[in-house]
Amino acid sequence: MIDQRFTDLERIIQEKGKEKKSVIPILQAIQEKYNYLPEDILKEVCKTTNITPDLIIGVASFYTQFRLLPAGKHIIKVCTGTACHVKRSELIYDAFGRELKLEKGYFTDKAGLYTLEKVNCLGCCTLAPVVQIDDITYGHVDIEGVSQVLKSFTREKQANAKLKKSHLEKMTKIQGEIRVGLGSCCVASGSEEVKKSVESAVMDKELNVHLKRVGCVGMCHQVPLLEIIPDGKDPVLYANVQPGDVKSILHKHFRPSGMWQRIKTSLFDIAEDIQTDRNWEGVDRYALDVREKHVSSFLGRQVPIVTEYRGAIDPLDIAEYLYRGGFKALGKCLKEMSPDELILKITESGLRGRGGAGYLTGKKWRTLKDQPGDIKYLICNGDEGDPGAFMDRMLLESYPYRIIEGMVIAAYGTGATQGYFYIRAEYPLAVKRIRDALEKCRLKGYIGQNIMNTGFSFDIALFEGAGAFICGEETAMIASIEGNRGFPKLRPPYPTEKGLWGKPTLVNNTETFAQVAYIVRNGLIDYTRHGTAHSKGTKVFALAGKINRGGLIEVPMGITLREIVEDIGGGVAGGKKFKAVQIGGPSGGCVPEWLADTPVDFQSLDEVGAMMGSGGLVVLDETDCMVDISRYFLAFTQSESCGKCTFCRVGTKRMLDILNKICTGKGSVRDLEELETLAGWTKKGSLCGLGQTAPNPVLSTLRYFRDEYEAHIHGKCPTGKCRDLITYTIENNCIGCTKCVQNCPVGAIPFTPYEKHVIDQKKCIQCDGCRQICPEDAVSVS
Amino acid sequence: MIRLKINGLSIEAPQGSTILQIAERKGIEIPTMCYLDNHEHFPSCLICVVKDQQNGKFIPSCHTKVTESMDIVTDNEEVFEARRTALELLLSDHVGDCEAPCQTNCPAYMNIPLMNRLLASGRFDEALSVVKQDISLPAVLGRICPAPCERACRRRNVDTPVSICLLKRYAADHDLSSKSHYMPIKSNSNGLKIGIIGTGPAGLSAAYFLLQKGYICVLYDKNPLPGGALRYAIPDDRLPKDVLDMEINIIKQLGAEFRMNHEMKENELEELRHKYDCLIVATGEDNTSFNGLEKRNRAFITERDTHRTSKEGVFAIGSAIKPGRVAIRAVAHGKEVAIAVDQYLTGQSVTGEVRMFNSRFGKMIEEELKEYMLEADKGPRIETIENEGFSLEEVKKEASRCMHCDCRKQVECKLRIYSDKYGAIQKRFFPDERKPVRKIFKNKPVIYEPEKCIKCGICVRITSEHKEELGLTFIGKGFDVEVGVPFDNEKVNALEKTAILCAEKCPTGALSVNENENK
Repeated sequence: MIDQRFTDLERIIQEKGKEKKSVIPILQAIQEKYNYLPEDILKEVCKTTNITPDLIIGVASFYTQFRLLPAGKHIIKVCTGTACHVKRSELIYDAFGRELKLEKGYFTDKAGLYTLEKVNCLGCCTLAPVVQIDDITYGHVDIEGVSQVLKSFTREKQANAKLKKSHLEKMTKIQGEIRVGLGSCCVASGSEEVKKSVESAVMDKELNVHLKRVGCVGMCHQVPLLEIIPDGKDPVLYANVQPGDVKSILHKHFRPSGMWQRIKTSLFDIAEDIQTDRNWEGVDRYALDVREKHVSSFLGRQVPIVTEYRGAIDPLDIAEYLYRGGFKALGKCLKEMSPDELILKITESGLRGRGGAGYLTGKKWRTLKDQPGDIKYLICNGDEGDPGAFMDRMLLESYPYRIIEGMVIAAYGTGATQGYFYIRAEYPLAVKRIRDALEKCRLKGYIGQNIMNTGFSFDIALFEGAGAFICGEETAMIASIEGNRGFPKLRPPYPTEKGLWGKPTLVNNTETFAQVAYIVRNGLIDYTRHGTAHSKGTKVFALAGKINRGGLIEVPMGITLREIVEDIGGGVAGGKKFKAVQIGGPSGGCVPEWLADTPVDFQSLDEVGAMMGSGGLVVLDETDCMVDISRYFLAFTQSESCGKCTFCRVGTKRMLDILNKICTGKGSVRDLEELETLAGWTKKGSLCGLGQTAPNPVLSTLRYFRDEYEAHIHGKCPTGKCRDLITYTIENNCIGCTKCVQNCPVGAIPFTPYEKHVIDQKKCIQCDGCRQICPEDAVSVS
Repeated sequence: MIRLKINGLSIEAPQGSTILQIAERKGIEIPTMCYLDNHEHFPSCLICVVKDQQNGKFIPSCHTKVTESMDIVTDNEEVFEARRTALELLLSDHVGDCEAPCQTNCPAYMNIPLMNRLLASGRFDEALSVVKQDISLPAVLGRICPAPCERACRRRNVDTPVSICLLKRYAADHDLSSKSHYMPIKSNSNGLKIGIIGTGPAGLSAAYFLLQKGYICVLYDKNPLPGGALRYAIPDDRLPKDVLDMEINIIKQLGAEFRMNHEMKENELEELRHKYDCLIVATGEDNTSFNGLEKRNRAFITERDTHRTSKEGVFAIGSAIKPGRVAIRAVAHGKEVAIAVDQYLTGQSVTGEVRMFNSRFGKMIEEELKEYMLEADKGPRIETIENEGFSLEEVKKEASRCMHCDCRKQVECKLRIYSDKYGAIQKRFFPDERKPVRKIFKNKPVIYEPEKCIKCGICVRITSEHKEELGLTFIGKGFDVEVGVPFDNEKVNALEKTAILCAEKCPTGALSVNENENK
């Protein structure tokens, strides 16, 4: 047994290497194998490689991906991203804890079957609240649904084992095309199941159709999406498709190829319809006409540059990418432009880094180009960690070639000799797509030696992050690739002077690279049409929160926040009042409704105390507590601080202490002043972007919503969100149905059928379950 | 060469040097904690911040290279506030006492734990010299002191407090019974004359400390023999008079002049004030015959820390200002007034005794007591029959019961020194719930107290540079990050080569040399 374990390890080390820089990949492989990092295996690593004990433990304990203790067989991850938070995911987390009967301080159930974890953001914000069990994602989970989720997971696991292999490749005569959205949102909402239903239906009926997976359409509020393009007819888009609907949908558009099949299918369908009680109604219910008003306004205000051909292009079909103009820009650069001309063009386009700070891309490239030395690196920052942001994930999943092309162009311009993708661990699909795409590019000669036969050489490797928000900071990211804890370094020197392995290194955001090919291909006039004086082009946002139509949107710079919320997002959901927009995630701020006409560009957002950030845009309505929101973001940055510098490590912690006091009604006016002072020093005294921007959500809410802080100090949460400041009571319109009684997880409501129910305040844990289940709206919060 | 300005001063500096290096070269002091010269470095403590006037940013001077026409400020109020805030944040996550509670509760602020350790290891003469730094009449007090120190002793929460008073008595008696008594070092005479009215514990103590500073001390008393209430109010069986005489003799040998049988006349204060450079009134509770100083109830009114009275150049101490006849308080006043008088006569600002910043964490919980007991003799308090002192064996054993509550780095600790210098308030950000204190002994010969660590990483870098087999590493991240041993195992010593070096370079008391190991 032991020997076998060490043989496995030997193989891992052989594959990943013996040097310090291999430490993270080795740990990932060990965890993949054992579900955690067994101590004897780690010691063996130290014995057989150049990795030292202090390094391996330092690294293993730094990154949240790694587990030093055994976990349950299945991992339940409750997403606590912003969109999930405002939809009260903490209640879902608690509900799972109760369902699994976890004792305080324990996260694995007694049977060792499930381990409960919180996860920063799964990037499925439009389906909030989201829960992931192993690789299956559940959206719109509510407290009552928790036990169903567990049951359905068990079923799914059993069913999966029996799945047949698809024979689609054998089809010859094409009757049309079926497109299934397979971005993470779509997958999370069940598109993988829809795809399987399509596959099995197509097989059963022996339809000769082209089944095509497409990347994210951006309409994440309508997922799963299924588009049918019958040969020679108009395409029809179906939204919110369930696996059970597939057969009916296909039946409407396609006829089986053979006579015998047709009869068999009809009979079978009749029989099945009786069993499942399904009928044709479903098809109409889910059909969406692309020309329909709200769909066209969702898409119509947008400008697809990095999301060009969205919903139409197979992410990994390199031939299609070429057909749609892919690698033309690269060819143009390599064959017609000098590196200096290229850099000049990028500079003149006004392109600014899309990672948050908005540094001029051309200027950064110039600096790298001017550095002496034969070895220079280039890194694509795909460590998107902001809760509530999933732009990079979508781009990596849906447009891998576009990003790769941008990177190779950048390498040509700057003289970079080796490239890296740094992609966060929570994005397995993005990792897989990029890995496949790199492989295909290498085969076709778009990366590697002698690219496009021009003599230019440049290759790209992929590095998986291990779960540390701080590694989105460029110097921490470099430390991580080098095999260290993700401690940022003081700048200057900037990575462009001294970066990876001490060599000049260009770090650009995923979205920045995705803009490059368009600029080169379509020229400056086309590109600079979009945007404002100092912010050119487009920006991708992850629109989520209390909004009717959430999703991935690409808008021209200069569009106002109100236009995004009202026109693209269709306004605030549920008839509630629009309160504020949280933009820029944990580094950004809240822009109140009365400033919603602020245009989206780097400067204007700075002026109102927010920032462009990487692109999270969460809409808040009148029921959202701004103190809670600011505490939420601070809790996030506090827990993601690397822990090096005093002001960030301790400052954010003490700020959070104060906010916790305020949220539990124990704060004083003096605390409020201290919070503001400390926020100021944390900003001024921190050495990297995380600490410097961590106080922003606090400062911006203090600026616009100070009255809410003051209300908390006086013991009141105006929106009824802060659990220590609210009480649940049952009003007179209670009909005594006992639904709340049965649903109460702590037995705080006595069983009194046909009488008005009463909540025992001493037992109540403010889980909101009774309010949600009450058919009469008789539960009030005050 | 690069030209820059530091605090308005134009400076030329070689390229590649840091602001800190240049400032040091110019004699501009910048505090550092996480910085260790000639070692790999990354700034973390932020105590060395300075302000870049051109962009208004605060930057760590230890790591920032000088650039052309830089304009740096190292010493304005804003920079101090940044440093103070950094210190206060570190202090909010630093659980430990600089001084032990027994010492802070001792009116004379005597270094009790150090005395205990010296006694435990049989170094009685050194123990006495520690005692005599703060207490002039230890043999006397060893018999009559109400021992407020023992009330604060943390050992009290385990079983019974350490018998501090008797330990001190042993040190003093041991000295008195030896051939040559301990004599403090005396400065050269400065010719200044101090008149002291009263020869009780307060007056004697004032003389003891002023004589050491080179002053001429003349003591007046209405009684025929010196000692005041010690002689005339305490029965012989509690305080044998030969003990009192021996300790007074030492003060005489130091040069004190006594004017006995001197009854103060009504306006004599004014007269004496002209005769001496300074007057100290230590007349005890019975000061009715005295005029010329403001009183409330029958006590003279004095300034709290300096003991200055309403009259210029006249100080008052002891029961004359605070009735109650607590000898240890009177003795403490004597030490305090000596400092104030010296400040007054040498033209310094008169502040009295300045006590250094002192981190305190308050009540201990049970787990912590267990940690502290690891250093102490587990036996019960040794009791003696009334008025008897300890034997040699007893003193060693009883002294070993001390739990070493004071910090081993109380003198060198940079966190303490800078907190003192920048006026940091320990409790400003201190959380309602603090972390429990741990003491880890396995990496001999050092003791590791994680709750005192400021996460500067100096030890992590040292162990890595010296290629320790295990060494130290950061474990975890963020606020919960800790320095620890990888693959922690009770039996393994992680610091085979660098233990002492790490303890020396640790800027706080987190890593310190265990003096017991060097015994």
